Amino acid sequence: MTRTIMHIDVNSAFLSWTAVHMLQHGSSIDLRNIPSIIGGNQATRHGIVLAKSIPAKGFKIQTGEPVFQAKQKCPNLVVMPPDYFLYMQCSSALSEILQNYSDKIQLFSIDECFLDYTGIEKILGEPIKVANQIREQIRKELGFTVNIGISTNKLLAKMAGDLKKPDMTHTIYPEEISAKMWPLPVEDLYMVGRATAPKLKGMGIHTIGDLANTDIELLKYKFKSWGLMLHAYANGIDESPVHPGSGHTVIKGIGNSTTVYFDVIDKQTAYKVLLSLVETVSMRLRFSGFCCSVVAVSLKTDELISSSHQKKLMTPIDCTNAVFKEVKSLFDEMWRGQPIRQMGIRVSDLYTKDYIQLSFFEENWDKQRRLDKTIDEIRIKYGSNAVIRSSFLWSGLSPLEGGVVDEFPVMSSIL
Amino acid sequence: MEFICDKNILSDGINTAQKAVMPKAALQILEGILIKAENSLTITGNSLEIGIVSNVEAEIVKTGSIVVNSRIFGEIIRKLPEGNVKIQVDELNNVIIECKNSHFKIKGIDSSGYPEIPEVEQDNKIVLTQNVLREMIKHTLFSVSIDDNRPVLTGVLIESESNRITFVAIDGFRMALRNFFSDQNYPEFSVIVPAKTLSEISKIIQPTDENIEIYVSKSQILFSTNNCKLVSKLIEGEFINYKNLLPEKFESNISIDRTELLSSIERVSLITSDGRRNPVKFDIKRNNLTLTTNTEIGNVREDIEIEVDGEKLSLGFNPKYFIDCLRVIEEEKITISFSSEIGPSIIKSGIDEYIYLILPIKIR
Repeated sequence: MTRTIMHIDVNSAFLSWTAVHMLQHGSSIDLRNIPSIIGGNQATRHGIVLAKSIPAKGFKIQTGEPVFQAKQKCPNLVVMPPDYFLYMQCSSALSEILQNYSDKIQLFSIDECFLDYTGIEKILGEPIKVANQIREQIRKELGFTVNIGISTNKLLAKMAGDLKKPDMTHTIYPEEISAKMWPLPVEDLYMVGRATAPKLKGMGIHTIGDLANTDIELLKYKFKSWGLMLHAYANGIDESPVHPGSGHTVIKGIGNSTTVYFDVIDKQTAYKVLLSLVETVSMRLRFSGFCCSVVAVSLKTDELISSSHQKKLMTPIDCTNAVFKEVKSLFDEMWRGQPIRQMGIRVSDLYTKDYIQLSFFEENWDKQRRLDKTIDEIRIKYGSNAVIRSSFLWSGLSPLEGGVVDEFPVMSSIL
Repeated sequence: MEFICDKNILSDGINTAQKAVMPKAALQILEGILIKAENSLTITGNSLEIGIVSNVEAEIVKTGSIVVNSRIFGEIIRKLPEGNVKIQVDELNNVIIECKNSHFKIKGIDSSGYPEIPEVEQDNKIVLTQNVLREMIKHTLFSVSIDDNRPVLTGVLIESESNRITFVAIDGFRMALRNFFSDQNYPEFSVIVPAKTLSEISKIIQPTDENIEIYVSKSQILFSTNNCKLVSKLIEGEFINYKNLLPEKFESNISIDRTELLSSIERVSLITSDGRRNPVKFDIKRNNLTLTTNTEIGNVREDIEIEVDGEKLSLGFNPKYFIDCLRVIEEEKITISFSSEIGPSIIKSGIDEYIYLILPIKIR
């Protein structure tokens, strides 16, 4: 049976979401219309461009480059910090709207979804018409724009969605592959990354069309099974189903790390930085519906020497304070006073909350659990800094650290 | 120093003393064993936590002492041909090992730096047969906690009072208790012995009626047999008041065949890799116990005929906890008492020889 798949992709997601949020809060400037970026604070050593506006693109600013470099290209550039809690809210608002159109929705990343529209044509109408309707509803109700790609499988839908931005609907049906997809440079093909593209170009493969028409045996020889997959993708072949409710495979662990903008040399400051990481990690742990039974702490010193310690717990936990208690004891065990540049924590060996092994000495976390739940709800509703611990006041430290950008495709907490 | 000894006797002696040696000790000398030839030959291993002295039958030619690397010396002696071994130490602390056509010369360490094994005051003394001690350890050691957060639980509580000796181990989720009743009276004491100590002593002693003497001081315990002596530190702190953990009322008591239950649980746990993630559900109905579990591999149901006194009940357990104690119990017909879905269940012998207590897994 021929399927109908839509790929919904938020245009400059982080930037649009921040822009909309600012407009809703009375800002007179729309970030999307001026040269602007979402970027880390370079004073705190994590200054890279996470997202850019279309005017910023005009200055040849690229995602992933250092903020200071972007500022050199455009001195008037507006730099806004990321707000991952806002992004989570926006993402779930988006999927709520999409649920009106299909029950099969796969969150592919925080700003991308697949929607299986197969069979729904008869009820709601032609895919292109409905896609335009979805775009309009999102624009009206949520204030940001999306691109929608339509085809018969996830790969082609995604390729179509990436064609021309912003706020457009495109199709790449199988009969359109040669005209719409094959002329594109090979690095535009999904799964062809920085490592593969130069290798392909070295073989004289410059466009997706070149790749599609390359002898499959040659690709197999060069890239093994990866080559077979590339060849199939270039020919628009992809059988994978839309997995409702999961954009990820099984979560094995949740972690976070942060580079501190100064070298930490005292325990109390180190505790605070760790606490800020614990706040986000344990919140994500709770959202994922798991408890963890392994807690790990990693440190990187000013001499860039890394070390990590981990601990297996007798009873799985998910409370912020419970995780923090273990993190502190691990830190005490491993820290010998060297100046610390980077700290990370990770929780793993996850257990569902369906079964609880009773214990003679279970600390009573019930009260703490209720508090965590309330704080989580407040933060989701009013933003991450709506409730913070007073120990962070005047500390110069962020009360919640987390959501490093390269972790986003597996960001479990939105699901 | 110089002595002559049968290779196998020497090897056994090393083997016993070696049990106290840490393979990677903080001090090089602690990776060694002390060989001392005086009136008799003794070999000592010492990790500062545990010290073991084994007596070895040997012909002493010249007295003296030396420390040699435990692993290397032990391996050499073990691989020597059968027969007598001559060990000599020269003035440069080289150890010369000669047996038939094998001639080794390895470096030794001056023995003056080797830590002494503390003397244990011989006040509180109990005597058991080696077999009884072995059984007591076997029946309780598996319940010891591996969580360093509660050091007292990483050991076994040994309590002695009038004619009773009790071993108790608790890991937070279960308890194993074993009593030994004697016709003699014992001194009154209560100490916590590290799990490692008991595990090593149970490897050293034999399932025989030969006696083992146990001496307890404030911070040390000494186990003494004819050919070896083991001294260990005790764990400081207060053990849990285990008597408070025992429930008074039970909702249901069942009488069941031990082997049948053990085989069923072992089969059920074939499809559970982790009993904490996949508990076994016990459904107690009239004359029937149903065990079920559901995992990503599949599901299983086992039915066992039982005698029930009490209410219908349905609760979950980590199968490992049942397997551990069912394997060591010797009686064939056992009684299991369930207090509630969230309270402890116990397996207990009629004459109070043992009590196993297991906390259930709450199923949401």
